[in-house]
Amino acid sequence: MNELYRSELMEIYKDPAHRGHLQPCSVSLDKQNPFCGDRLHLALQIKDGVISDAKFEGELCFVSIIGAEFLLEEVIGKSLAEAKKIDQAQILALLDLNLTTSRIACATLALQALQQALVKYEEASK
Amino acid sequence: MLNVDKIRADFPLFTHHPDLIYLDNAATSQKPKVVIKALTDFYERSNANVHRGIYALSEMASAAYEAARSKVAKFIGATSASEIIFTKGTTDGLNLVAQSYGLANLQAGDEVLVADFEHHSNFLPWQKVCQLTGAKLKFFGSDASGFISKEEWQKKLNQKTKIVAIAHASNVLGTITDIKKIAKLVHAVGAVLVVDAAQAAPHLAVDVKDLDCDFYTFSGHKMLAPMGIGVLYAKEKILEVMSPYQLGGGMIESVSEQEVIFAVSPEKFEAGTPHVAGAIALAAAIDYLQEVGLAKIRAHEIALSERLLSGLAKNKRVKLLGEAQASERTGLVSFHVDGVHAHDLSDYLAKNNLALRAGFHCSEPLHQSRSCGATLRASYYLYNTEAEIDTLLEKLEEAINYYE
Repeated sequence: MNELYRSELMEIYKDPAHRGHLQPCSVSLDKQNPFCGDRLHLALQIKDGVISDAKFEGELCFVSIIGAEFLLEEVIGKSLAEAKKIDQAQILALLDLNLTTSRIACATLALQALQQALVKYEEASK
Repeated sequence: MLNVDKIRADFPLFTHHPDLIYLDNAATSQKPKVVIKALTDFYERSNANVHRGIYALSEMASAAYEAARSKVAKFIGATSASEIIFTKGTTDGLNLVAQSYGLANLQAGDEVLVADFEHHSNFLPWQKVCQLTGAKLKFFGSDASGFISKEEWQKKLNQKTKIVAIAHASNVLGTITDIKKIAKLVHAVGAVLVVDAAQAAPHLAVDVKDLDCDFYTFSGHKMLAPMGIGVLYAKEKILEVMSPYQLGGGMIESVSEQEVIFAVSPEKFEAGTPHVAGAIALAAAIDYLQEVGLAKIRAHEIALSERLLSGLAKNKRVKLLGEAQASERTGLVSFHVDGVHAHDLSDYLAKNNLALRAGFHCSEPLHQSRSCGATLRASYYLYNTEAEIDTLLEKLEEAINYYE
């Protein structure tokens, strides 16, 4: 059959660079995909207002893993203000996966976790 | 043996999608030409509201609607057509029973029992009425095949049990429950038995008198009829004393400013304009199924289940959710694959024209109790072929290797 996904994405899926446990971390959060029940755990290390490291964990589908990988690649090294500006359209453009509507929730699972984690971090720092 | 080629030619959708392998029949079935024609014929030739006008067209529509009711009554072995209430579907039927019978007959201290494999539509309505009345909702645990053991029945069923609501066949495990046997147990403690037959009525020859259940409800759209029409059967003596679920036109005997006398069943439970065309098309679907032969359809499904189960058994990474034998299940198999997400498999299969359901199939507690993530479900019907099952097995193997 025609390849379902680009071959470089398949390589990322099989060995995701940002998957793993981050300890210690500044903030962490679990986000569930209501569509399939998948749970993504996101952990961020924040130093001087900059995201210095980030990792995700969880039993996840291809699209969620690729979504998390592209997001974390993008967000590490960015300031909190810059990170907050990343939106769904930007992630979907980066992935370039031609997703069906039902899979957009998978692609943006990590992004939703990030946005909530940033709010959680700011509230805790007040 | 079914002449599947001839049957497929009766379904226009397959003409428009010649490459489609449709294996999501537990969600909804496709419709034969005769059913679609029954719908359009009604609107083109007989359309008028029922039970209203005394002009010929309205009487014709009413007669056709009532003839459909009689056909359904005969199809499931009801004593009389007045025991057949037309609904929107199974969910509507279960909500009707919960809101009308449940609210009126439950009080604090009572218990309602459902199985752990229920579709959300057969426990959320009970969860709600239990919250409202103070009754307790309890779950039967089922075994790996989806059967409830004798010990489990003895442990959960008691004098406090007022309602047992159970699926005749599970939409995830496929397992067929022995309704006749449990009706005796339920009645022995003075409770009533409500049967969710959404997954059974399309596949099994049913005789509600023989089953001796108190309520039996199913949807038309899973058995070749249109979406939006369904059936609730209830014993006449229960319907006589049961209050209506919704109030409005078409269900009264007389009305004054402060009082109302309701019509008798089934009108009492059919407020508002019913889905007349849908009921007539459901009757056409019943005719079609009976012409093909329910016994033949059942034998065909069992053969497809055997082929699929033995094919899946060859791959050690494939785990079944529901281990019932082919003859113990309706035409469906749910499974998952170690290390590959069900939605990823489903995506790959979809690119190969295979339409399967992936997810929790509206049975989240079941997936939780079996510590199982999303699953894939293949469900088939009279128009599916052995070659389609073989293609599924072949493409599934490819998909697993692809994500390896």
